[in-house]
Amino acid sequence: MRPPAWYTPARQGLAGLLLAALLASPPLRQWLEASMWRHMLLQFPLWMLAGALLAAALPPRARGGIARWNAHGIAGLVGVGVALSVLMVPRVLDLALQDAGTEAGKCAALLLAGAAIRLSWGPAGLVVQCFFLGMQLPMMVVVGQLYIDSPLRLCNAYLLDDQERLGRWLIAVAALLALAWLAHAAWRLVRREDARLAP
Amino acid sequence: MLRTALLSAALVLCGLAAARWLTYDFQVWTDEGARRLEVALRPVQAPPVAVQGPGVAAPDLPALLAAGGGGATVVDFFYTHCETVCLSLGSSFQQLQAALQADRAKGEASGVRLLSISFDGARDDPAALRAYAQGLHADPALWRFVRVPDGAQQQALLRRLGVVVVPDGRGDYEHNAALLVFDARGRMVRVFDIAEQQLALDYARHLARRPR
Repeated sequence: MRPPAWYTPARQGLAGLLLAALLASPPLRQWLEASMWRHMLLQFPLWMLAGALLAAALPPRARGGIARWNAHGIAGLVGVGVALSVLMVPRVLDLALQDAGTEAGKCAALLLAGAAIRLSWGPAGLVVQCFFLGMQLPMMVVVGQLYIDSPLRLCNAYLLDDQERLGRWLIAVAALLALAWLAHAAWRLVRREDARLAP
Repeated sequence: MLRTALLSAALVLCGLAAARWLTYDFQVWTDEGARRLEVALRPVQAPPVAVQGPGVAAPDLPALLAAGGGGATVVDFFYTHCETVCLSLGSSFQQLQAALQADRAKGEASGVRLLSISFDGARDDPAALRAYAQGLHADPALWRFVRVPDGAQQQALLRRLGVVVVPDGRGDYEHNAALLVFDARGRMVRVFDIAEQQLALDYARHLARRPR
């Protein structure tokens, strides 16, 4: 599978830049952060997507430099895991609404996490990928279940039914990601077998 | 590989530091928990916002909290149209009032008073507050009801005290209802959960007794 000709690194970087500017613009920010589920399940991945697109525009020299510190994508995925774990603390969502510093830190962490996934996913290989998802996805499920079960509002700025909806979606997204990765891993393994058996 | 291990360890340490900062050394996970901890560590001075209510002569909030010399005030936020959490706040305030009346009947007035502040200042005029107070059988000597008539001042008060009010889209509000204990100098010194009503009362009694 070769990417289409228009999908150049420079254009990807430009798209990432545009997306980041759009996400930072007050109207979109306000709309995304007006609800708890949009805040965590739409804004978080979109910032990561912007980071992933920006990473494509890195010059080869820089990529080589990063790769020396990122054998098998381990450092990158460790960083992503750490960032996402910290950002799952319910206080982050409230604090990001009140404090510009926290908001900036949150967005920067997500941008870097997106770039780190892009640079680390391929080199990681199936084993490291499995280990990473095996840590992250169960955490998403536990946090989701917590949001569903809590009779109290964990964020002052959001309503209880919003919190419950976010919990259900977190579990659903974790399940979808797990299924998608299993399909991807199976496809890779089958292709590897085919290549071995081919004359 | 060594560099990767070093970078990974550094990232984990950065994450731990961020998490420690965010959760006050893993003591709190929510912003409400952080707010209560912060208030206990550093009391918050009530801003001089103008208040208005049935039988309330004090011009602003600090004056109202200081009225009658020493003592402490347990404060809650409500609005008269509320049908959910404010009702449970109302009944917990009724129980607090009963305890304070019992103190008074024994001849040892505790110096603790109750104050309900409306965050729906546009609708809750003094007449509405009086009707609401009568519905709850509030004793005017112990339990007052006020609103902040000025919208901007009301917002400033809510922000200063960390009260977050969210419209629920059906014409009602949800808010982080709690029992706020103020001292006679107009400082919010502790925030208690609605369920910790006895604790709040004992703390306010202790505060009112303490020589200043």
